[in-house]
Amino acid sequence: MEAKYDFERKYRDQILKCSRCGFCQAVCPLFGATLRPAYNARGKMLILKEVMDGKIELNDELIETMFQCTTCAICTENCPSGVEVPEIIKLVRKDMVNIGSCHPAFKGMNEVLKKHTNIYAEDELEDFERERNKKAEYVYFIGCVGSYREDEATLETLDLLDRLKVDYTLIDEVCCSGVLEDVGYQINEDLVRKNIDIILATGAKTVITGCPYCSRTFNNKPQYDELKDKGIMVIHISQFLKDFDFGVKTEKRVTYHDPCDLGRHCGIYEEPREIIRKIAPDFVEMPHNRVDALCCGAGGGVRGGYPKNSLAMARRRLQEAEEIGAEVVLTECNSCVHNLSNAKLRKQKFGIYNISQFINELMED
Amino acid sequence: MEMHGYKMPDDLYYEENHFWVKEEGDLLVMGMDDFAQVMAGEIVYVQLPDEGKRLKAGKKFAKIESGKWLGKVFAPVNGELVAVNEELETNPGLINDDCYGNGWLYKIKPDERGELDNLIRGQEAVEKWLVADIEKYAKEE
Repeated sequence: MEAKYDFERKYRDQILKCSRCGFCQAVCPLFGATLRPAYNARGKMLILKEVMDGKIELNDELIETMFQCTTCAICTENCPSGVEVPEIIKLVRKDMVNIGSCHPAFKGMNEVLKKHTNIYAEDELEDFERERNKKAEYVYFIGCVGSYREDEATLETLDLLDRLKVDYTLIDEVCCSGVLEDVGYQINEDLVRKNIDIILATGAKTVITGCPYCSRTFNNKPQYDELKDKGIMVIHISQFLKDFDFGVKTEKRVTYHDPCDLGRHCGIYEEPREIIRKIAPDFVEMPHNRVDALCCGAGGGVRGGYPKNSLAMARRRLQEAEEIGAEVVLTECNSCVHNLSNAKLRKQKFGIYNISQFINELMED
Repeated sequence: MEMHGYKMPDDLYYEENHFWVKEEGDLLVMGMDDFAQVMAGEIVYVQLPDEGKRLKAGKKFAKIESGKWLGKVFAPVNGELVAVNEELETNPGLINDDCYGNGWLYKIKPDERGELDNLIRGQEAVEKWLVADIEKYAKEE
């Protein structure tokens, strides 16, 4: 039977390789929060096999299943058969959008990015008390969450860069739009062009991103290849800060949450830890760390489409911080800070910060 | 009372950013009004600051989020935050379900009860303000 959908054309063999062992279910943050097998990779592969066999249709009834996945990739890490679940899910979502079946939040996001510079349709850009678009050695690219939802954290990060006398500029950035590829749509070429043009105009040879997802988009999406072609490097702030000495320490018990977009997706585990060890003698790992880290629940569009489950996943992550007696939870991803902060219960007295934000606060003291 | 499709009880005071206020003994209770909760959509997070926080009239002291919107909560009067609705920590949707009842947000001990006179009250004033905001937000969309 000829393949009806792109996901089958590209990933049929992988879907059939799923041995239904359930190793993925044991680690899936969405299954852990909801106990719904259909949300987990094994459940999704079973459903997709039924679609490939023509027994069920790809339609609106599958929106909740197929659009509910943070694409954290912990399933793939634990899959003995090597099934690349997030890639399959992303292509299924594109197939569904092509036939008109899409979660309204993501359809809305695509429409927003046609008319606005960011996923929140905010029109007033926070100036962070700094000039934009100057000539500088570095561009600091904040990202949508850092600009419009965690602006206080961003301001602290910028203050830190100033303390370290980094020659950087902010720019009139627009959404990297990489997220659209995760939720069934295409990267927005107009926004890509704007970002590339503004970055090039600064003369900077390195872009530092506050958001690991933006970093991944700039480095991996072919639409941003022009940056590489022109010799511009894109790094995440944790990679930039790791060689600095800050001259401050905290006595508090500190732990580190690996963002999926920095950890599992980019393999960046040690740089943030090197920074933390310089400032926190009492650094303790959560039980699930590095490649096994639990997702905060925000990724893959889940915070926008399924906020209750997104926050439930964040609460599970924070339980680990509570269990180890952490007083400070550090990460370096504004999406993680945002979701974890929203999920934190009042009785949980630890603070949640980006590393750069926390270091700046120590230096201020 | 129903006003242009929104429930806007006329025995309440209203802060211009669409928070209602009512007196409860020595305290004031505040919440989000029907127009705001409809415009916001499903509320997913409400910031619940610690009790004892000093509030300055007109100054932001908390955040509320829905899937598409981040809103600021402004203090209607000068005073002290004395209680928060802890139900909202795990069930922020109460604001959408019952914004004038179980979805209340905060309780405030005001410095001066007279500051309530700075808020919007009475059918005529509330309607004028509401109509203006309905038009404003319709244009923005």
